[in-house]
Amino acid sequence: MSVDAKALVGLGRGRAEEVSPLEAEVVELFDQLRDRLLRYVLTFGLAAADCEEVVQESFLALFRHLQLGRSRENLPGWLFRVGHNLALKKRRRYKWQSTEKPDLLMADPGPGPDRLFATNQTQSRLLSVVQALPERDRRCLELRVEGFRYRDIAEMLGMSLGAVSMSLARSLGRIARAAER
Amino acid sequence: MNEKNRAMAHLTDVELLAVADGELSPADAARAQQHLMACWSCRSRQREMEVAISNFVRSRNALKDGLRKSSRRVQWMAAVVGLSVALIVGFLAFQIWTDRPNSRAAALAVPNPTLTPGAAVFSSRGELCRESNVRNKSVPQNLEKKVFEEYGIAHASARAYEVDYLITPALGGADDIHNLWPQPYSNTVWNAKVKDSLEDHLRQMVCDGSLELATAQKEIAGNWIEAYKKYFGTDQPLK
Repeated sequence: MSVDAKALVGLGRGRAEEVSPLEAEVVELFDQLRDRLLRYVLTFGLAAADCEEVVQESFLALFRHLQLGRSRENLPGWLFRVGHNLALKKRRRYKWQSTEKPDLLMADPGPGPDRLFATNQTQSRLLSVVQALPERDRRCLELRVEGFRYRDIAEMLGMSLGAVSMSLARSLGRIARAAER
Repeated sequence: MNEKNRAMAHLTDVELLAVADGELSPADAARAQQHLMACWSCRSRQREMEVAISNFVRSRNALKDGLRKSSRRVQWMAAVVGLSVALIVGFLAFQIWTDRPNSRAAALAVPNPTLTPGAAVFSSRGELCRESNVRNKSVPQNLEKKVFEEYGIAHASARAYEVDYLITPALGGADDIHNLWPQPYSNTVWNAKVKDSLEDHLRQMVCDGSLELATAQKEIAGNWIEAYKKYFGTDQPLK
């Protein structure tokens, strides 16, 4: 019934045909970083659909960031920082929502469906250790595995270099002990 | 600690990881490498750490493979396009809002009776009331265009209106140009929502037998605002 919706569809079609260089650039970054960012966001214990949304919003923010001609330095780091903050924001909203979804209230609902994919016992034990890590340690580990250097991680999480370094060593120690058991 | 002792001291876990990650200063890295060459114990600890890393990465990859591979490029492009379009439409809507005097919009809260006298298809009450899901029927696009032409609304300002049925299909209203008129979004008091509640009310009355269908159609086609006031016994739309 709405004329608006139809106007949108029409305009949408018109716009999609002409892709600006900026859009092309962001699409390229999207292809490079989308999976990595999604993997990272998934570690916040959000519903899959919300993770997708966070990823999408992050890339939109990146698009606007570049559109406004802001700093192009370390764009992956910038993108992950935005994704990180959006994921935290979304998770805070979970906590405000009704108690009808108790599984969503916890930041990390334990191994759960993850176990389905963990091929053996060591792996599932390892996953529970990772999920039980303090939030900061978990973030450090997840950012490191996505290829970020200590300096980037420190900047993203507002920690000192030494603290990042210690956090990573501590987490790996726990993971190693989990495998031994 | 003198230089010799420092070189002999075992490396901490932090140092072991940092040297593998290439995060030590060149001087510290050189010293650590020298120690590692001399110390089996530290080398084996470093190996254990590498094993922990591979285990972690492997378990993570197992999780990743379980993720559904959703489309990417298209989805994202759609979002960008959606955003741009929303901005454009918002801008246009704002312009239209500020350009149009309210008097014109108010005049259209009730349609022009010559252009939109109302038209109905259903004749029997039973037939109509059996029909479910008649609400929110969408107006055919070609008709929408004609309605705007008929009312002399330019293409650019068309976005400020919703083409609405005068007699709703829920009361037997027809897909006919005589039954359609452009209802302005800017009407904040007697708006489409208020009209919807009248339509629901009348349909209920028709279906439970307290009102003739023909009367309901006549009332709503005549002046729906007056009909609202009459059937709800109020001068203002109910909240």
